[in-house]
Amino acid sequence: MGMILYHGEPNGPSLAVLAALAESGVKAECRTIDLLAGERHTLPGITEPLARDMGVEGEGPVLVVDGEAMTESVFIAQFLDETGAGTLQPKDAYAHWQMLMWCRRMTERCAPAAAFLGCGSSATPRLAAMDQAAFGCLLETIASEDLRSRWVAVAASDFADGPIEDSVAKLRDAAALVDAQLADGRNWLMGDLTIADFETYGWLAGAGALEPGLWDGKEHAAGWLARTKAHPAVQAALARATVADPENQWAPGPEINRWG
Amino acid sequence: MAAVTLYHWEPNANSGKPMLALMEKGVSFTSHYIDMLNFDQHKPEYLAINPQGTIPAMTHGTRILVESTAIMEYVNAAFDGPNLMPGNPQDHWRIRWWMKFMDQWLGPSFSMFGWKFFVGPNALKAHGQDKIEAQIAQIPLPERQLAWRKAVFGLFSEAEMSESGRRIGLGIQMLEAELAKREWLASDCYSLADVNGFNLAYAMPLSQPHLANDDLTPNIMRWLRAIYRRPATRECWKLGRTPMASRVEILEQDYIPPRNESEGIASGVR
Repeated sequence: MGMILYHGEPNGPSLAVLAALAESGVKAECRTIDLLAGERHTLPGITEPLARDMGVEGEGPVLVVDGEAMTESVFIAQFLDETGAGTLQPKDAYAHWQMLMWCRRMTERCAPAAAFLGCGSSATPRLAAMDQAAFGCLLETIASEDLRSRWVAVAASDFADGPIEDSVAKLRDAAALVDAQLADGRNWLMGDLTIADFETYGWLAGAGALEPGLWDGKEHAAGWLARTKAHPAVQAALARATVADPENQWAPGPEINRWG
Repeated sequence: MAAVTLYHWEPNANSGKPMLALMEKGVSFTSHYIDMLNFDQHKPEYLAINPQGTIPAMTHGTRILVESTAIMEYVNAAFDGPNLMPGNPQDHWRIRWWMKFMDQWLGPSFSMFGWKFFVGPNALKAHGQDKIEAQIAQIPLPERQLAWRKAVFGLFSEAEMSESGRRIGLGIQMLEAELAKREWLASDCYSLADVNGFNLAYAMPLSQPHLANDDLTPNIMRWLRAIYRRPATRECWKLGRTPMASRVEILEQDYIPPRNESEGIASGVR
C-alpha cells in the first residue's frame, strides 16, 4: 500500500500530520505543495476526492491511500497512529475521550481563529498580488463553494472587526487553556505525548506573532511550546520547511462557526 | 459494572446518537429525559452535571461525558457488544470523517431549518413567548442566550437560510452518492457513522420531500429503512415523548414519492 502525503509548509494541520507521521514510523512519501497556489485542488491520482473537496478543515494536508484522499488532520493522525506505532492515543476509553474533546476544542474554536488571523497577515498580500485571471482559474478548481468564498475573502482582505476581535479572544482562550492544563507540572497536555500536543502546537506555534503578548506570564505553556518544538517528530516535520519561518505561513482554514 | 445514566431529549439529532449507540451495544442505562423546550438543561440540577448546559451528557460511575459523537466513541470503546467502529484504520478514518462532516457542516444546516419551521414554532405554541423569553434570560452565557433567541424565534437571515438550504441539497446528494458505493455510509459494516447519520436523516422524506424520496434517492431510502428495522432503533425511538419521535414511522412506507418542498414545510415537520 503506497501512501503519499501532500502537505503545505509545516504549520497548522500540515505540521500536526507530519509530526504524527514521524512518530508513527509509517512509511509515506511526503510531497510539499504550495497551498496558496491552489495545488491541493489539482492533485494527481485521486479516485476518491470527496474528503479533499468537502473537508471541514480547509487547506489542510491530504493523505492519499489507494486513490482515496484522506483529510482532517486529527483523523489522519489517528489513522497513522493506528497503522503504525500506536503510541499517540490513550488506551483507556475515558482518557481517549478527553484527548478527542481537547482536539475538538482546538479544531473547532482555535483553528478557525488562527487561520483567519494568519491569512490576514500572510496570505492576503500574496493573493491580492495575483493576476485576476489566474486567481479566477484557481478559484474554479475549488469544489467547495464555502471554502471558495473564504479564499475570495482572504484575497479581498475582507476581515470585519467583529470576527477579528472574536478570533483574538479565541486565541487567548486557547493559550490560557494550554497553560492551565500544564499547571500541575505535566510535560504533555494529556500526561503522555498524544496527537493533542501536535495538533495544538500546529495551530498555536505562530499565534504569538498574530497576537503579541499572547504567551506573557504563561510559563507552563511557554515551556511546553519549547519542549514540543524540540521533540524529534516535530523537528522532522519542521525539517520539511522550504522557508525560514514556517510558523508564519497560513492558508484558508475551517470556517468560523455559523451559529456563533 | 458502574452505572450509566444518559441525559437526553428526544431520539433525534444529538440526543439520539448516544441513545442509539447504547441500545446497539446492549448497555443498560438509566434514561433521564431533559425537556429541552422547558429549558431543563439550564436548571441547576443539570448544570451540576454539565456546566455548559448542552445535551446530551452521560455519566458512567463517577465519569461525566459530553458531546454526542465523542460520547458514542467512548461507549463503543468502553463496553462489550458489537463493534461500532469496524474495519481497518482507513475505515475508522472514514467513519470519523463522515461524523465530523455531518456534525459540523451538514447538521447545523438541518437544525437551522428544523428550528425555523418546526421546533421553534412548536415551542412557542407549547410555552408562549413570555415564558420562553424569561427562561432564555436565565441562561448564564450571553452567547448561548443569543443562539437560543435566534433558534426559538427563527431569527435567521435570508443569507443564512439560503446557505443552509444549499448545504442540505448538496449534502443529500453526497449521502446518496456514498450509499451507492456500499451498503453502509462509511464502511462495509454498520458503524457509528450510520448511527450518527440516521439521527440526522431519518425525517428527510418528510421534511425534504422534494430532495429525499424513493425516486431521487433510492440508496438513502434503502439505508434509512435498514436502520429503522434494527431492534435497537425501535427501542430507542420508544423513548421519545413528543410527536417529533413519531416522524420515524414514515419509514414503514414501502414507497415514498417525491412531493413539493412546500408540503414539507406545511406538514410542520421540518
